[in-house]
Amino acid sequence: MFPIPRSDSSALEALVLGLTTGPVCLASCGPVVVPWLLVQPQGMRVHGRQLLLFLGARLAGYLVFGAAAWLVGSSIPREWTSRSWIFGGVQVLLAAALAVYAAGWPRRRCTHHEPGRLVQIGERPAPRIGGALALGFLTGINLCPPFLIAGVRAAQLATLFASLQFFLLFFAGTAAWFIPFVSLGFVRRTPALVTVARMAAVLLACWYGFSGITNLMGKAFYG
Amino acid sequence: MASQSSARGAPRVFRGAGRSALLTLPMALWSLLMFTPAFRQPGRNLHTGAAAVILFMTGLFYLMMRTGETYRWRRIFFVALGFLFPVGFIASLVAERGSMSISISRMVSGDTPFCFMVTPSIILPAAFAHTIIFPGSILPTASNPHSIAMMIGLWLAFTLVLGKAWCSYACFFGGIEEGFAGFAKRRRLHRFVTRWGSRLRLIPWAILLFVVLGSAVLLEPVYCMWLCPFKTVTEFPAVRNVETAVQFGVFIALFAGLVVALPLLTKKRTQCGFFCPFGAFQSLFNKINLFEIRFDRNKCVDCSLCQTTCPTVALSAESIREGKTLLNCMKCGACVDACKKGAAVWHVKGTPVAAKPERARLLFLYGTWALATMFGGSILANSVAAMMGFLPWK
Repeated sequence: MFPIPRSDSSALEALVLGLTTGPVCLASCGPVVVPWLLVQPQGMRVHGRQLLLFLGARLAGYLVFGAAAWLVGSSIPREWTSRSWIFGGVQVLLAAALAVYAAGWPRRRCTHHEPGRLVQIGERPAPRIGGALALGFLTGINLCPPFLIAGVRAAQLATLFASLQFFLLFFAGTAAWFIPFVSLGFVRRTPALVTVARMAAVLLACWYGFSGITNLMGKAFYG
Repeated sequence: MASQSSARGAPRVFRGAGRSALLTLPMALWSLLMFTPAFRQPGRNLHTGAAAVILFMTGLFYLMMRTGETYRWRRIFFVALGFLFPVGFIASLVAERGSMSISISRMVSGDTPFCFMVTPSIILPAAFAHTIIFPGSILPTASNPHSIAMMIGLWLAFTLVLGKAWCSYACFFGGIEEGFAGFAKRRRLHRFVTRWGSRLRLIPWAILLFVVLGSAVLLEPVYCMWLCPFKTVTEFPAVRNVETAVQFGVFIALFAGLVVALPLLTKKRTQCGFFCPFGAFQSLFNKINLFEIRFDRNKCVDCSLCQTTCPTVALSAESIREGKTLLNCMKCGACVDACKKGAAVWHVKGTPVAAKPERARLLFLYGTWALATMFGGSILANSVAAMMGFLPWK
């Protein structure tokens, strides 16, 4: 059984856990962040803003999970990991969000003066807030190994505040690894690049969707 | 010396027999140097295979010199490589292991031959997780000579010098579909390819992004597990559940569709042009090597024959107007051979366009054919030797 962390040591532990497991978080969130940022307009400011929105929403997801972890307590590993339908559902939602936002929907209503976005796939798109928030939140509550470790530790803390603080610092540690993504703002936006990013987002949506559905229907598939 | 060569019909004489032979001499010597060690080993089959490959590679190079055509003779080698590679590869697996199957224990012990297609997938996990996500060995071993370091080294040497020419002179997978594309009598779906080509040629880049990011998440080579139409070094999964059923279906559909059916219909290398993520990765190296194909705008009449002929849709009307190919050009030479006005030319970067195109072609071919002889030639020699082993008079 894990030793119960003391609140004064848990802050440092959360930060170190976040920093050390950051590459895994990076790999886990990279498939969502990279296509999303590549369909945004060129520029460091735009990318910085989009990444902040994404990370903010991801933090919200972390805190929701942290609160839930504390409420459920130490039964997380047994209870939550067996309920693959929760994470299957998150993956399906993530797939839908990727398809909806990164692939170009919702398109603006076509008018005679302004054609729909979908038919102008190569044009300079306007930065959108909703996509970053939705994708950030869904990746925030998506299960990955470091996240599960953090959940177990947070669940063992004495108070809800301590649990949330643990997740906040864990988030800060992992978020440091995301800073290099801002450099995607330097990449010159061409119609071809935007199309490639959208195609990749659709492929990733298919992958998350398949993974989510097999998780959701795991018992039916594997008996 | 004739300035033009025909793409169809009887080959035209481009230069005299003596001069062609003289130009072929270095390649003949290179072939001998490459395959002389085979004659020191016991086994008549191996000797026959080596001798056949020396004659084959030298003969084709001679014909390139004599006719001034590249694509036609390169294709003979390339299709032979594509169709004979599985013969030699499977025979070597059977000889080394007693079976062509690669068991889990073999994979765990790092005995899986490394496939160059995995190269882009291993970069991020190697950087972040300090692990190589392929069940092979870094250095060659007795049971697995196709090690990761050797295959990447070979590929890198080829690619740094010649760019995406790897896809037209070394990739045995491409040879299979070029063979199927060659069977077709005429082009079908031409309008579809023309209309959607600009979008379709972006798909490999999207798949590359997907494969690289996905491999980093799962720490497994996503392309091998889910998307490889050839399944050479890993096996078809036994269908036990929905996941393996989907994998199996994807492999079969990709091979049947992109390697057999669509090349037969379109006369294009559809897997290479519209799917292969490794090809997209290779395209990046076209930026940093010396050789390319350019268009002399003074001679070009915008007939689009080169665009129609290009097997991988690496030309667009805009690129031809700019006198260039697109980034995904595999330097197969089809457009150069097809151009009746001599506007499509081989070119060395940093020199004036169309100043000395034949010299540029020679420089390119010497490097390419030497590497093709070394890499593809040894595959062909092994395959011929393996086939000889099955003959009743062996």
